Amino acid sequence: MTGFPSFAIFFKVLMNGVLVGCMYGVAAIGLSLIFGCMEIVFIAQGAVMILAAFCIYWMFTWTSIDPFFGFLVIIPIFLGFGWIMYTGLFQRVAKAGKNPSLLLAFGLMVLLEHVMSLIWSPNTRTVSTSYSASALRVSGIIISFTRLMVSIVALITTGLVFLFLKKTMLGKAVRGVSEDMRAAALLGISPVRVSAATFSIGIALAGIAGVATSITYPFDPYFGFLFSLKALIAVAFGGLGSVEGAFLGGIILGVLESLSSYTISAGWADAVAYVAFLIILVMRPKGLLGRSVEKI
Amino acid sequence: MVSPFFSTRNRNYLVGLILVGFCVIYPFLVDAEASYLVYFLFLTFIYVVLALGWNLVAGYAGQVSLGQHAFFGIGCYMTAITWRAGWTGYLDPLAMLMSGMGAALVAIVIGLPLLAKLRGDYFALGTLGLGEILRVVCINGGGLTGGAVGIGIESSGYKSMTPYYFIALLITLLALVSIWLIMRSNIGLALVAIREDEMAAAANGIGVLKYKIFAFALGAFITALCGSLHAYYIFHIHPAGVYSLNWAITPVLMTILGGTGTFWGPVLGAFILAGVFELANLWMPELHPIFSGIFIILVTLFLPDGIMSFITGHRHAILSRLPLFNWIVRKK
Repeated sequence: MTGFPSFAIFFKVLMNGVLVGCMYGVAAIGLSLIFGCMEIVFIAQGAVMILAAFCIYWMFTWTSIDPFFGFLVIIPIFLGFGWIMYTGLFQRVAKAGKNPSLLLAFGLMVLLEHVMSLIWSPNTRTVSTSYSASALRVSGIIISFTRLMVSIVALITTGLVFLFLKKTMLGKAVRGVSEDMRAAALLGISPVRVSAATFSIGIALAGIAGVATSITYPFDPYFGFLFSLKALIAVAFGGLGSVEGAFLGGIILGVLESLSSYTISAGWADAVAYVAFLIILVMRPKGLLGRSVEKI
Repeated sequence: MVSPFFSTRNRNYLVGLILVGFCVIYPFLVDAEASYLVYFLFLTFIYVVLALGWNLVAGYAGQVSLGQHAFFGIGCYMTAITWRAGWTGYLDPLAMLMSGMGAALVAIVIGLPLLAKLRGDYFALGTLGLGEILRVVCINGGGLTGGAVGIGIESSGYKSMTPYYFIALLITLLALVSIWLIMRSNIGLALVAIREDEMAAAANGIGVLKYKIFAFALGAFITALCGSLHAYYIFHIHPAGVYSLNWAITPVLMTILGGTGTFWGPVLGAFILAGVFELANLWMPELHPIFSGIFIILVTLFLPDGIMSFITGHRHAILSRLPLFNWIVRKK
């Protein structure tokens, strides 16, 4: 690094961080919703994302349908997928406590990863469209077109989830269950159904993040776990169980990584993110927004 | 009927003695270098100790740690660095002890803020971050850690599988005995009290942080012993390998499978899971990870509390079906 970076470069680094962070954010919201409702850390989130990415890969290479159309295809499929996963697997072990659920999520992750590597081979894949390499130039700042579009989709998704939680009855029920399951049940809300709905939404969000990944990054079947970790960190930044915090946490994480890989080196970027994560955990265990529900 | 000599307690001792005796004698009965079972037992002993370490922290003290691979890696690196520098020798007990101490020290330093401030899932996430930080530090450690390539040591020192096997067995037995003794002392009571209700424990005059750190450091110590042995065994350590989450999560799975917070749970879980993984690897090498994933899901669906709780629930029905047991009892 030579001297203080010019404003343009700084802004570009910042912008890049925000764009990547939006993707972390969407994955983190899914994780946060699932955690808030069921108190399980769903580490298979990343594997589910990559599954969506491979689906888009197939769709694109076989039918040449634009990958952005994939968002519309993936959302209903993954909503159903999440519903089946919850009623078939997680609902059954929910009674036994937290550890079995964690174990189940891990088993699911292993299974998904290896089934994917069996079907699609462990090679790295990319979805390269005609516009993959194009970029926008706004007063000297170059912004990748696909990343920008993906971030816009991420923002819209977050807005919709937020509206869903604030305005609809089901969304209010979701918030109620994550605040106090017993009280919610007393008010006639079925925790099981709400959990199933939340889980499906979480999986669908993972699907959206996966489509976004397929458009912007090369991916392989084992890439997902790293993404799960990143999403977890983003969730912890915002405070476990908080939705807007999770999205904000994702953006903070993206910016932090982008800045530290520019100022120090790309090799240390991960360590900086983790150290910041540890510091925030110790100093502000409830996240930066500090509005999450106390869960022990 | 059953003589006092075959009381439940003595019977348990007898079964334990037979198993340990088998493990001691077995390498002499077969060709230890070629025997697959000797290798399998060596690997499983390491997993047993890792599972015991996690069970001490999470099962007994109730602090779910997802960062045991950090201590495993510290053990590996301390051993490899001192070995390469020529300060310690091949399979040096001093180096192993030192690696364990080093990891315990790190556990104390890290544990002070983490254990004091973080509870439950937050602690789990914090420890997860710890392992990842150490991995990145070792990748960027320059000459000391050898970067992403790691440290390779001449493997000419390797002579026989037997010493590895016996060291692993010794560590396993020491870990078992020390945890057994701890859980029968005031410390064990304090740990379980903290797990059940931290506030009540503190109100009863238990120095909560002190005991938590003790469990965390002891868990780190025995985990690092395994790491040290692992470094001596594979002769080449690199960050992606030794800080692999595999070393953190597999023991967790084994413990949950066997029964968290039970004494024999981690041992049983380690043997079963390692066995299933190895068999799956032998019979269907391509599908092995898929099979393992399905196995984990099936176990959590049908035995969510672990195998130990199932056994203790059906103790008599199971024991009376064991041929050896019936033979012993009927003999009198």
